[in-house]
Parts: sequence; structure tokens; C-alpha cells
Amino acid sequence: MFPNPIEKQSRGVQISYQALLPVVLIAWLLPLLAVMLFSIKPESDFVSGNYWGLPDTLEGFKNYGKVFFESDMPKYLWNSVRITVPTVIGCMILSSMTGFALGVYKFRANLWIFFMFVAGNFVPFQILMVPVRDLTVDLDMYNTVRGLVLFHVAFQTGFCTLFMRNFIRALPFELIEAARVEGIAEWRIFWYVVLPLMKPALAALAVLIFTFIWNDYFWAIVLTQGSETQPVTAGITSFNAQFRAAYHLMSAGSIVAALPPVAMFFLMQKHFIAGLTLGAVK
Amino acid sequence: MHSIIKTSFAAIVAAGITATSAQADAHALSGDLVIFSDMSNPAPRAVMEGMVERFGEMHPELNIELTVIDREAYKTQIRNFLTADAPDVANWYAANRMLPYVEAGLFEDVSDMWEGQMSEELASTKGAMTIDGKQYGVPYTYYQWGVYYRKDLMEQFGLSEPTTWEEEKANCQTYLDNGIKCYTIGTKFLWTAGGWFDYLNMRTNGYDYHAALTAGQEKWDSEKTRATFANWRELIDMGAFIDNHQTYSWQEAMPFMVNGEAASYLMGNFSVAAFREGGLDDSKLDFYQFPEITAGIPKGEDAPTDTFHIPSGAKNKENAKAFLEFVVSADNQTLINNGENLGQLPVNALSSVDDDKFLNEGFAMLSNDAPGGIAQFFDRDAPAEMAAVAMEGFQEFMLFPDNLDDILARLDAAAVDIYAE
Repeated sequence: MFPNPIEKQSRGVQISYQALLPVVLIAWLLPLLAVMLFSIKPESDFVSGNYWGLPDTLEGFKNYGKVFFESDMPKYLWNSVRITVPTVIGCMILSSMTGFALGVYKFRANLWIFFMFVAGNFVPFQILMVPVRDLTVDLDMYNTVRGLVLFHVAFQTGFCTLFMRNFIRALPFELIEAARVEGIAEWRIFWYVVLPLMKPALAALAVLIFTFIWNDYFWAIVLTQGSETQPVTAGITSFNAQFRAAYHLMSAGSIVAALPPVAMFFLMQKHFIAGLTLGAVK
Repeated sequence: MHSIIKTSFAAIVAAGITATSAQADAHALSGDLVIFSDMSNPAPRAVMEGMVERFGEMHPELNIELTVIDREAYKTQIRNFLTADAPDVANWYAANRMLPYVEAGLFEDVSDMWEGQMSEELASTKGAMTIDGKQYGVPYTYYQWGVYYRKDLMEQFGLSEPTTWEEEKANCQTYLDNGIKCYTIGTKFLWTAGGWFDYLNMRTNGYDYHAALTAGQEKWDSEKTRATFANWRELIDMGAFIDNHQTYSWQEAMPFMVNGEAASYLMGNFSVAAFREGGLDDSKLDFYQFPEITAGIPKGEDAPTDTFHIPSGAKNKENAKAFLEFVVSADNQTLINNGENLGQLPVNALSSVDDDKFLNEGFAMLSNDAPGGIAQFFDRDAPAEMAAVAMEGFQEFMLFPDNLDDILARLDAAAVDIYAE
């Protein structure tokens, strides 16, 4: 089997592997380590050019304190929650229903509708920037959390439908047939038979969509502005003053912004990895 | 509970009466006032909100709606809202930066406000607010540019603040002999080189020539402009600037001066806060006006000015004008520009300046020692496309001074297209 496990390689290969691994790991993590280092440095370190050395004084508490108590960060974090959670819920509701429809019922346009959902995923979303922006302005939803949530739900539902439909297809169809024989209404089949079986898929998808939306920067700056509506990814740039960039606060802010998805990952690691492969196997 | 309602009701009635009676004097305003502002950073935002609050107290009947938009986002959105749904008052910048909107008829002519007293009080920036003899807005703040230098280093080598080009170069030579660069600069984002060109050209050829050049009325490949570059080249050939400056932002060039590897920095006054952060107190940091080059030429200065305008599509122009008058009043400008607020200079000559060495020197310099005129900075005086091409040329010149012929030819070629529009 390819690739061969390291244990079966020659001693020389093993040693060079063990020597290189930490080097590559550190190089890989260097940007992240730099951000962590910057976030505990005082501002004076940046003015005096001490970028990579040890911090002159440890200002971790002060920097993170400023991020939480003297900036709009809590507002931005709360906006992120207000955007991400409804989007996840909206996507789950819509895609479980579309997935059910496309996965269970056989009708003529089934495949074509399914293709349309899939095709939506292949559109590079940047080209939608201007029309979507104009649309939200016309609908009077520019610069509202509502507008951003609606767009995210609409756009993510395509991917979620693909995922759900394939999952439902893999369920034993006999369960649904048995229920039909019993004369159970279709919506009750959905609710009492299919939905409980979909729980692992829902969990995996929720984690995945949560990270997608939380990390979205593009649509956040296209469709919203200011601390009333923008999520935390866009809010980090607010540490750039008119003349100066506050590297230490931006770094601390980035760490804070990255924590929820990281926490989500560790708490739901099992579902996350399941989610990455689930849609692929039919 | 009853009594509270009663009292507040009485207060409203009373306010209404005073408002109506005052309206007879044409002072108290009513109706709406919609303001769009780009003062989005914490301190400027507080200033803007404070102004609205105080103006609202003066006119309790007035319904003021303030929208603060991120400063960078504002730059793209202004095109949108001026044409679509115009506010009554909007922030912007002076000189060429407001020209496109004036030409498109989107900013209201406010020349009538400038008649009489206001022109005297705001004399230093009247030119920057004027296009074809008419004024299109009012200034609320500006800040000086000049040479910020390490006072302790200057004292260490027994030097003094230069006032002529010869002294400037002599000082520089002393620094270089002691292994210190004369000037730190970071030209990664180009505009810092624009500052150097502004000063060298204004000192070599005068403010009027500089204004004509940035307005496209003079050729780049001319003896006068070449003289400016020749002076610049003297410094470049001496090795006066730090090495590899094209890789630094202005902020990243600061450590050279903070650590004593460079002696001075041609920069705007906003750098002072950062220098102080880096440990340079007033005993180590000082400021002088860019020295004279061609004797007898009246000195011009860079002082980028931020402004308020009334869009032509505004619905409440009388209220907007009253707000603009409130903004430029000496008392208001004193308050909003002090160290706790913007920390910049008031434009109104009757304002007082906070007790800060650099603000005081700057205020005196702009009010008394800038007879040539006040420029807005290269990228505000020249049209945006021209500024971009020219500042790239400046950076190239600083690295490869031998390319001058090439650069000037390129700028003239670009100017033909850009100013023809």
C-alpha cells in the first residue's frame, strides 16, 4: 500500500523524517506564533523596531483588556454570533427539507434541480459581489445583519443540500417504505423517521457551516459596515487608526476572533472530520 | 411619576417657547439635519458626537441624525450617497480631493458664508477651499508637516536647527560622519516621498509654481522641476536617507529614529504620538520648519485639511449652514482640536491651541511663517491618477537617481492624458 508507513522505511529515512518534522512544523506555525507574540507586546516595541525579540514588558493583560473593554470587539463578536447562529439554523432547516425532497421522491426534474444546487457551489462567489450588493441595497437590507444572514443562508444551502441529499440517499429506503405501508403522512415520515437518522449529518454540517460563516470576511465587508453590523473578522481592521496600525491590538483581536471556531473544532472534532468526508461518499 | 411627566412636559413646552421666540431672531432651528461623517476612529468619533450633542443643545427643536461610516469605506461610498440619497452635511477633504465633486455639481457653493469675518478667521485655508473663486465647504482641523528630529543627537554633535539649505546639508554631513543617517523614511506606500517632493519643490521654486505643477499647468521636464530634483539628488548622493526605504511603511521607518540610527524625519504631526510611545520625550524630540533653499521665496507649507461640505442634494440647507458655522467657530475649534480630542491644529486664527510644544510651534508656523501658501499634500493637490504615477516616480528617483530623464518623460506623458479629461 502506498504510502508506506514510516516504521517500514529504512533507518536513514526515519531519522531525516524525525529531524525535519519539527522544522516544518515550526515554519508552518510561524505566522501564528508571531501573532501570539505580537499580542503580548507593548506598543513601544513596534515603534522601536523590536518586532521579533522578547517583549520589552509583558502587556498581555493590558492588550487583551483593551480588546475586550476599550474597543468595539465585544460588539463585533456579538455580531458574529448574531450572523453565524441564524445562518447555521436556517441552512439546517432548509437543506434537511430539500435533501429529503431530492433524496426520497422520484420526479422528473429531480436530477436537474439537484444539479442546480450543486452548480451553485461552482460559481466563484466573488463575481456575485456587485449584483448581490445592489440587490441588498434595493431590498433595503444593506448594512443589516438580516441581509447578511439571508445571503449566507441562500448561498450555503446549495452545499448543504448536496450533503444532505447524499446522506439521505444512503439511508435504508425500506424504513421509509415501511412507514408508508403503515399509512403515515409524508411530513411525519420526515419528522419521525428521517430527521432522527440525520442527526450525525446535521451535527457535522452545523460545525462546518459555523466555521465557514464565522471566518467569512469577503461578504462581511461587502454587505455591512461599522460596528453595528460587521462581524469580528471585519472588525479587526478597526484597530487601524487613521494614521497608525496598532499591531499589538490587532494581534490580540485576531486571537480572540479565532477562539470560537477553534473551540468548536476541539469540542466537535469527531463531527468535523465526519463532515469533511461525509458528502463525498455516497 | 406624575410630577416627572409634568415637569418634563413643562420643560418641553418651555423649550418650545424659547425655540419659537428665538426663531424670530433666526437662531434656533427646527426640522431635520442629516450628517454623514467619516470620523470613525475612537477619538474623532467622540469629537463628532460631541459636536452634534452641543449643536443639539443649542437647537433643541432640531432633529439631528448622525451616521458615522468607516473612514476608508467612506471614500468609496461618498460617490454613491452624494448622487443617490444625499445627507445635509458630509465630511471630505480640501483642494483637489473635492474638485471632482465640485465639477460634478455635487457640493453646494457656500461662498456667501465666507463673506466677511469668516474669510479673515480662516484665511490660512481659504485658498484650499476655493475653486474658480468660489468656496465649497469649511475646514475643521489640519496639522503641520515639518522636520521632526532627535534633539539629543543634535546637541551631542553641537549642531543647531538649520534655516538654510547649506546648514541643512552641513548638519547632515556631520551625522553621516558619525555613522548616523540624516533622514529616516519609508516609501513602501509612496506618499512619504511625495512629502519630500512637496517641500523641495516649494522651497526651490515657490508655492505658486508647485501649485501650477500639481494642477497640470507646468511641464515636469522643465529647468525648474529639474532644479528641485537636483537638490534632492544632493541628499541622495550623500547617502542621507536610510537604506532599503522602499521596503518600509512610514510606521516601520520610525524605529531608525527611535533607536538613534537616523537623526530626523520629514513627517506630519501625527507622528509625535508614536514617537512619544517609543520613549522620545520633549527633551529628545523637537521640530523645525523645512529650511529655505532659494533665498527670498515665500515659504509654503503642507497642512492637510479635513472639511465639512453641504451636498447639492441636501434637503435642509439652512440647518446645514448653521452647523457649518458652528463647526468653524473659534470656541468649537479650540475644543475639538485639543490634546484630549483630535490633538491637531484649529484652523480658526482666533482659536487657542493646547499646551503642547509641537501643536504650538505648528500653529505659529502655519499662522505666521507660511506666507507662500498652504498646500494640502501631494496626493491631495494632484489628481489621484497623477499622484499615483508621480509618487512612483519619486520613489524610483530616490533609488535610481540616474533614471530622472526617463521618469520626467513618463510623468509628462501621463499628465497629457490625465489633465486632458
